[in-house]
Amino acid sequence: MAKQMLIDAYRGKRTQKAPWVPYAGVHCAFIINEPADKFLQDPELLAKGIVETAKRYKADGIPLLFDLSVEANAIGCDLKWWPDNVPSVTTHPCSDKTPADAGLKLPTKDSGRWPVIFEAARIAKPQLEELDCAMMGLFCGPLTLASHLAGVRIFTDVYKNKEFAREVCKFAGEVGAVSAQLYAEMGCDIIANVDPVASQIRPETFREYVKPNCNAATKVVHDAGLTSSFFICGDCTKVMEEVCKLGTHGFAIDEQLNMNFIRDMARKYNVGFGGNLKLTLALSLGLLSPREDAIVSLAAGGQHGYTFAPG
Amino acid sequence: MADKIIIDVLTLDSVQCAACGYMMESIAALPTDVQEMIKYQEWSIKNKTGVDKFMELKGKVLPTICIEGALVFESIIPQYEELIDEMAKRAPDDAMRDRIISLREKGFEFDKIQENLEKAGSGMKTRTDS
Repeated sequence: MAKQMLIDAYRGKRTQKAPWVPYAGVHCAFIINEPADKFLQDPELLAKGIVETAKRYKADGIPLLFDLSVEANAIGCDLKWWPDNVPSVTTHPCSDKTPADAGLKLPTKDSGRWPVIFEAARIAKPQLEELDCAMMGLFCGPLTLASHLAGVRIFTDVYKNKEFAREVCKFAGEVGAVSAQLYAEMGCDIIANVDPVASQIRPETFREYVKPNCNAATKVVHDAGLTSSFFICGDCTKVMEEVCKLGTHGFAIDEQLNMNFIRDMARKYNVGFGGNLKLTLALSLGLLSPREDAIVSLAAGGQHGYTFAPG
Repeated sequence: MADKIIIDVLTLDSVQCAACGYMMESIAALPTDVQEMIKYQEWSIKNKTGVDKFMELKGKVLPTICIEGALVFESIIPQYEELIDEMAKRAPDDAMRDRIISLREKGFEFDKIQENLEKAGSGMKTRTDS
């Protein structure tokens, strides 16, 4: 396990070999034979799952949790819990009003599940250090959080009700900056802004609503001397140039993108990049050979700013 | 009433993947009058029937909203009016097309989303053994 090698790759530097990060998420619960809903609400189980998973997969880094409902829940959204998945957001407090009109407040370390996460980090951090494994903090990006707050209307509002959309996305960006600060305080080595729905919009929408609302969180990470990244899912080809210009040290993408295209894009902007083992087609369904898929990813990614990871 | 408009949402998993979740929600939040004219289902690529549907519809990316078998919104979460227009284009008869278009200014409704998602099997078949 090699934490520094991972940090170097995330920052776009050359490495001796490609470091490896399993974005394990609720798979950590499976590893320790616990249901996901119990695992995500119990700090001891959370820490145990992360550490066991890091050991099992010889990870160079591992997310403390991969759950994009934490921020929404901490500011008032209700959740539906699942035994084998992350919780889903079921209520949207800004579906008919702005965050200010809905009385939403920025979270603190005592809001929602943040105390659970702090305690899990306190238990897991020294064990991960001993393994030379980076602890990663992942927070919900501005457009995904805006979707949680306002519901699917946000994708219409970004065109038809711009002032409202700006207010919701701005608030979401401020919440993200708080999350980044909290992850820095709990000792995360890498902090990533995770905005999956940012792939489902046009580049001009990304420039208007996503980019400006990522800056505060990125500054928090960089001011703390830590490493930043931006994770995006789906077919994000149309916004990849914008992702590279965000000012984070790097980015990570999913299985739908061509790794040669991504590698060339990352090199052009001198940023780190991660991905893109085929999570569904190879790892989950076995329709492709995971071994051959891994070889293709590793060959395309190379040893310059590349992190081997599921996509 | 003529046949309903068939909508298939190809996803990774609408619970795990926020983009997939909001693609599903864009249909589930359509107003009640529109809900009466459509039939929709989530097809998660995490199980075999979802993969089969992805192949049958010749899907290219996830998530995708298919209306009457056409890949209409591929990795773009639609605006309300875009959805209405695309459904109207594919309505089985003129009466339904006119009725859908008459709802163009109505906008999303949020009070029955969970109920509608459950009807569509959202998040229920996202395991490889489901």
